[in-house]
Amino acid sequence: MKHFLLILFLTLSAPCLHVALAQGRTVSGKVTSEADGSDLPGVSVILKGTTTGVTTGIDGSYQLNVPDKAGTLIFRYIGFQSKEVEIGSQSVINVRLSSDVKLLKEIVVTGYGEQDRKTLTSAQTSVSSEEIANLPAASSDQLLQGRAAGVNVSANSGTPGGGVFVRVRGSSSINGSSDPLYVVDGIPIQANNLSGVDLGGGTTSPIADINPADIESMEILKDASATAIYGARAANGVVLITTKRGSSGKAKVSLGVYYGVQNAPRKPDVVDGPTYERLINEAFVNNGKPAPYANPDAAISTDWSDPIFRSASISNFDLSVSGGSDKVHYLVSGNHFDQEGVLVGSDFKRNSARINLDFYPMDKLKVGTSILYSNNKRNRLRNDDNISGAMPGAINFPSNRPYYQPDGSYSKFSIFENPIAAVLESDIQMNTNRFLGSLYAELEITNGLRLRSSFSIDNSSVQEDLYDNTLLNNGAGSNGYGLSQATRNENWIQENVLSYEFDKNDHSFNVLLGTSLQESGFSITEAIGEQFPSNDFRKITSAAVQRARSDASSWGIASLFTRIGYDYKDKYLATLNVRRDASSRFGKDNRWGTFPSLALGWIISEEAFFEPVPDFVGDIKLRASYGITGNQSGINDFQSLGLWTGSSAYADLPGISPSQLANPDLKWETTAQYDIGLDISMFNERVNIVADYYVKKTSDLLLAVPLPKTSGFNSLVQNFGSLENKGIEFAVIASIINTPNFSWNTNFNIASNKNKVTKLAAPFNVYNRDLFRYQEGYPMYSFYFHEQTGVDPATGDIQFADIDGDGEFDPNVDRKIVGDANPDFFGGFTNTFKYKAIDLSFFLQYSYGNDQLNWNRFFNEHGGTRDFNFNVSQLDRWQKPGDQTMIPKMAAANYAGNLRPSRFLEDGSYMRLKNITLGYTLPQTLLGKVGISSARVYLTGQNVFTVTNYTGLDPELTGIGDNSLVQGVEFFSLPQPRVFMGGFNVSF
Amino acid sequence: MIGLACLFGSTSACDVLDQEPQAEVSEDTAISNRKGAQAALAGMYNQLQSSNYYGGNFLIMGDVSSDIAQSIGSWDFYREMDTYLIDKSNLENGNLWTRAYSAINVANNIIDQVPPLADIPQEEQNSILGQAYFVRGLAYFDLSRVYGGVPGVIGTLGVPIVTTPSRKVDESFFPSRASLGESYGQAEADLLKALELLPENHNSDRVTRSQAVKGAARALLSRYYLYVNKPELAESYADAVISDGKYVLSPSFANIFTSKFTSEAIFELNFNSADQSTVNNWYFPSSKGGRGDVAAHTNFYEEATANPNDVRGKMFGYYESKNVYYPTRYGNTTGIDNIHIIRLGEVYLNRAEARAESGDIDGALEDLNKIRERAGINPIKDLTGKQEVLEAIWKERKLELAFEGHSFFDLVRTGQALSEITGVPRVNGPDVDLIDPNRQVFPIPAFDIDANSNLVQNDAYR
Repeated sequence: MKHFLLILFLTLSAPCLHVALAQGRTVSGKVTSEADGSDLPGVSVILKGTTTGVTTGIDGSYQLNVPDKAGTLIFRYIGFQSKEVEIGSQSVINVRLSSDVKLLKEIVVTGYGEQDRKTLTSAQTSVSSEEIANLPAASSDQLLQGRAAGVNVSANSGTPGGGVFVRVRGSSSINGSSDPLYVVDGIPIQANNLSGVDLGGGTTSPIADINPADIESMEILKDASATAIYGARAANGVVLITTKRGSSGKAKVSLGVYYGVQNAPRKPDVVDGPTYERLINEAFVNNGKPAPYANPDAAISTDWSDPIFRSASISNFDLSVSGGSDKVHYLVSGNHFDQEGVLVGSDFKRNSARINLDFYPMDKLKVGTSILYSNNKRNRLRNDDNISGAMPGAINFPSNRPYYQPDGSYSKFSIFENPIAAVLESDIQMNTNRFLGSLYAELEITNGLRLRSSFSIDNSSVQEDLYDNTLLNNGAGSNGYGLSQATRNENWIQENVLSYEFDKNDHSFNVLLGTSLQESGFSITEAIGEQFPSNDFRKITSAAVQRARSDASSWGIASLFTRIGYDYKDKYLATLNVRRDASSRFGKDNRWGTFPSLALGWIISEEAFFEPVPDFVGDIKLRASYGITGNQSGINDFQSLGLWTGSSAYADLPGISPSQLANPDLKWETTAQYDIGLDISMFNERVNIVADYYVKKTSDLLLAVPLPKTSGFNSLVQNFGSLENKGIEFAVIASIINTPNFSWNTNFNIASNKNKVTKLAAPFNVYNRDLFRYQEGYPMYSFYFHEQTGVDPATGDIQFADIDGDGEFDPNVDRKIVGDANPDFFGGFTNTFKYKAIDLSFFLQYSYGNDQLNWNRFFNEHGGTRDFNFNVSQLDRWQKPGDQTMIPKMAAANYAGNLRPSRFLEDGSYMRLKNITLGYTLPQTLLGKVGISSARVYLTGQNVFTVTNYTGLDPELTGIGDNSLVQGVEFFSLPQPRVFMGGFNVSF
Repeated sequence: MIGLACLFGSTSACDVLDQEPQAEVSEDTAISNRKGAQAALAGMYNQLQSSNYYGGNFLIMGDVSSDIAQSIGSWDFYREMDTYLIDKSNLENGNLWTRAYSAINVANNIIDQVPPLADIPQEEQNSILGQAYFVRGLAYFDLSRVYGGVPGVIGTLGVPIVTTPSRKVDESFFPSRASLGESYGQAEADLLKALELLPENHNSDRVTRSQAVKGAARALLSRYYLYVNKPELAESYADAVISDGKYVLSPSFANIFTSKFTSEAIFELNFNSADQSTVNNWYFPSSKGGRGDVAAHTNFYEEATANPNDVRGKMFGYYESKNVYYPTRYGNTTGIDNIHIIRLGEVYLNRAEARAESGDIDGALEDLNKIRERAGINPIKDLTGKQEVLEAIWKERKLELAFEGHSFFDLVRTGQALSEITGVPRVNGPDVDLIDPNRQVFPIPAFDIDANSNLVQNDAYR
């Protein structure tokens, strides 16, 4: 990446000269290293003031045609000082380059700009394309997992293209969204779940539209100084995604292909048929009833998981062509990604194309586009808490039931769908077309003064079609049920940024002034059909009963922003941001919010007093920032108004009813954050350490304050309450060994975030059975349970803590917060080894101290009060006096419907070998002959093993879809697949 | 450039900030003319239709809490009711509360805003207001018996009384509970006011039976006065309904449910394919497109089918894989069956009970036998004692109104709950008993206890 950016930088700074090169003469020579005299391959040799140039070969030699009228050659190489040599009359020019780490600027992308990492004053983590290349994931948000300190990522389920939970420095909003803002090539994109069909908890990831292979870098902006330039929508952090672009030079063709096989690492742990019958018998006997099964030993044993899980393929094909002349830089890429789900009947396919162009039509003018067109097709299944899903069926259908009834039809049982029917008969398709396009023009008005204007569009249209035939429970009652839904999201954004850079003596300024207008509209059209002539008809036109609805909504934001960056002698740094935003979502008087931030940096190592410090300590930079950012997401588009809805018909009479109370005082939710950070580089930048401490205080929470329901309303969204996140982040990136033949690079990060609700109108409970409680002084995602203290060894009766101390346990009052889903710390650890042409890397990702609710167990460890299958954990039940266990005697009172025993809350800590990759780079000598410039083959394993005490299917399954108030629950979700795959990358 | 213009000068360029709702209207314009008032009226009935209220939940609650229906699936909230272990945060219990008060809020809006509207003729205005009072009275009646109790049987506290539209959060949003007597009194006052304002008929038979008319108010009052133990009033309102020519017992019992708006219907909530009820979803097994979470108690099935001639015993299905029976009264698997809030069969039984209480044994048996004959079973002639006759009427009521949401409340009202609900066998647990008298009322939902410190929880749940 560094190389690429350097070239980009050089190209951009080189004025476009119109030099017609006539016949000339040849200059040749060899470039070697000053330090050890070794040959330097890949050095750029450029004729100054032109784009004419070559790079040195494997032995450091070069040959270049130069005009008769000699000029100057520039030799440039990453990590070395550039050298300029007057050609004069020489025909052989040998050059020795001396290394200079100082020259090596790491340019990082920032909000509305880019900057040398050295002078960056904010907390920002970069994830490079190398780190995320060739990983088997549909969506790039998933790829952030474990890569950046303080960024907590988990998948909601193992469903292909499924939703992903991303939190930057904790959740900073309760009702509002806590998802970060995603900005792709400068466009803040729509990142909400685009599916309108409710299939259970599992959602779809909108980021999956973007091909990970197109990504040049992802920058995660964490502190207020980095994010405040995005003001109103920055409180949850910002993820800047920059896609690859072309550069001057010969066309480069890159091809990447991988293919792999995925399997479910674990399947539901349920008992077999005879055991099921014995346990049910035991429960009945304990309840004083006759045992219903006369001969459990003769019971059949059905494995409900077997027919629905499969070895699923995953394949990916990327092709890109990039290059350019002095007038045009281009990159064109195409991608085909095809992932089957490990559940039969589910898959995700993406076809996408990208065209990134930059033109230099005039001296001072640059125009360009970034265009993505992406088409996704998903075959989906009902999932998670949806009782008609395959997983719920496989987990809950008793093992003593057959797959099919004697007449060949699916056997049916209880509330669940037969899992085989769920995977084979379901027909749920989602087809997404997304256009993400941006057009920009950048004019250099005078030296250092630039105006950049851009217009961008993010349009997506989603077509979803669902058909439940009569063999499915959902279609049986209505004689076939069809649903067709078209959802359209249309966004445009127009931005103008004026920037001015100037130096005066040792003072260097960077000033930016910008405007932004954005409008976002949403519309949905839905048709539903019932009563189909037969299962062969699937479109609603064939249905006898048809109904339809349409709806639409919209919002807009207008903004004005400025940034002043200042640095004195590369030693004292300051950045001031101010952004003013107005949102249509608030009342006229409260539209505008102002979001300022200030950051200071001090590069201590530049001070004279630093001289005595040993040389191995390179740069030390101290950073401090404070700022305020806002949030308007998570509330509806017209939240401040008192509204009546029209969707209250009484049979065929149109009806209206109150839907929302007015709150004209509604305004922006604001998060104030301060951050203190330290960046240290040592041993010639081979060891880099970044440490941060931050405190984020969110106030004026956009909170749906519960109202007494006697008012006829559930809640009023108010700016009420506050929330705090405090944390420490630490990352080390080190090149531990770096010799020509062997290298070892390591990247370790760890972060801790403490979340606390600091002010709330009144405590409130959320999610079914009130499993979560939001209460002052407790973190978000706090679990609210009856604290089970044990099981009486004498009687087998369940025992609970008597919270109110009145001497007896009463389920109505003796309930308390017993834990929360927030980890104590989490992070990732990557090691990459290279020996000659072989590379090996492994990536561990971990989370410690989070409580995870095994809600599958709650339903399956039912003690006979339900007739569902049993989790194997039921086998540990109390059976005879003296038994020491947490699982009580199988009697109805111990498993009563109003009990929420805390034993289902488990330690969700885990460490996972997320990825291990072995690669081999083919030797240049071989490839050169067939015109290949580089080629690498590799084998990768994903989710290879997991160390955890958690007894559920996957400790990473932590979300219930769109419910942002719920985390840390596994509820019939599909575990993440284990993937083994191989692939290659070739470039020409 | 538009951006610059917007931000630095002309505010008219800031179109992006001017967004209007497209599927909703402002509360200020919602009820500003006749059309709005009519729409609000439909919106009020829509609240009754909700699956949380008469569209499903309220009926299930009344039956699963009794000895006629049982929870057999995973929906713990009904299992809690079935086993008398209701938690104050029981979801369905909370849903009913929320929805009943939403209906009250719509009614309050109508009562507050319709009178000044000039474009509504007086007669129509009276009808609209009468319907609003009727629905409010119904909701307070339901809330009082669920969360308060029955005067003289159980409970002293009623429910919070709200009679003004909720517009701005102030102290009126945080009411205390009225006494049980005041709660019932509010229901009575509303129903009497409705009776005064409502027309005898709307412009079609279908509307007359699907929206409140005087007959509906009288019918409900006949039930109401049984709850407050005023049999003479119950009888006289029942008289008025029975003598109203448009109400005639449906000769076929099954037709009451399989057809819409039979002559039996007094207030029948109208459903269609766009607006479905969920009763069948709870009872019907998954193979019939339901959820199969609730079924008949096998004991009750046996009781209902003991007499093979009883047509009401025919309205069951057999759920083979669970070996239980489920009711098929509301049997359309697409949920388009209409739901009876009150029908003539009940009014006969109300009068029979009122007459028996007043000592008119012959009259009581006459009404009782009307119902028995329609069901295809022999009349009862040989009973003479008041208590015997009352018990026969209650038994009949249990069969006649089964799975229509009455059962538990009838048991509580008649003081039988503690004696009848003993040793009721369930398929997935031991026999259940209702022992704690305080569990004859449901808990005030936890969310309102949390949100409103003026509320006091019922004894059994604190």
